[in-house]
Amino acid sequence: MKDIIRAKCLISSDVEALINQQIKKEAHSSAIYLSMASWCNRNGYDFSSEYFFKQAEEERMHQLKFYKYVLDMGGTAISPEITNIKIEYNSFREVFEEALDQEVSVTQSIKNIAARCHKEQDYVTLEFLNWFFKEQREEEYKARRALELFDVIGEEGTGRWQIDKHVGQIKYDSEP
Amino acid sequence: MQEVSLLPTFDFSEVFSTASGAIFQSDSERCWYVDFAGKLARFDYRNLLKLKKAVYQVDIEQKLLSNDKSPDVEILFICASDHCYVLSLLQVIALKELLQGTFVMLELNHIICDRLYRIVA
Repeated sequence: MKDIIRAKCLISSDVEALINQQIKKEAHSSAIYLSMASWCNRNGYDFSSEYFFKQAEEERMHQLKFYKYVLDMGGTAISPEITNIKIEYNSFREVFEEALDQEVSVTQSIKNIAARCHKEQDYVTLEFLNWFFKEQREEEYKARRALELFDVIGEEGTGRWQIDKHVGQIKYDSEP
Repeated sequence: MQEVSLLPTFDFSEVFSTASGAIFQSDSERCWYVDFAGKLARFDYRNLLKLKKAVYQVDIEQKLLSNDKSPDVEILFICASDHCYVLSLLQVIALKELLQGTFVMLELNHIICDRLYRIVA
């Protein structure tokens, strides 16, 4: 008997479901960053707003990368529905705290997919995921550095203005 | 003159069967035939997955526990497929069992194909 399913689709249905979940997560992330950009803009934090706009775009790019991977492997990519996006934040600092939380949860969730791939010996998807691990290293670094600015500069006086100015300059160049 | 008969060739192999139905695979057509609820229906790869999804999505427990007066009938409509099933709850359970067995056997077949033909010893 021929193995028809394997000829049609490279990834297993479990991995496909996990990646579809990840697609939703990335889309959710992108929407949250957009909301953060809006909050920062409304409250006069121009550079941070710009920073979050860029992040939103990056998350969207990640989403599409996963999306196309599922399709390329013969699976069914599902366009996600995004709801429950917060509009208001209590403080400037809270925005960055949530941004870091967001990145940590994305990293965890990609690790979860990788764990499944190891179990199934799906080295093709593992290799694909490597790019994201490298990306997450940078994303978490940037989010952590931004939050550290609050401790280093302090929020008193013109502190927040200084923090905002420095957020745009955070770069990760430890490795190309 | 010799008469040439054009009988269709059958190359069905049974994937899985239960008392209530069976699923066959046709290698040449690259599809499956589902013999269930009194009809033989052809499903290609996408549609078989859609059928599986539709059946698995029926919340059997909730239907069993519900005591409203709506008829105990489930309509399984598969998008872009020629077939649709109108089943009682017991039939849904039977079809689910059939599909579960089928996908286990297809997975097993996948492992066997991998081991026997794809991995060069």
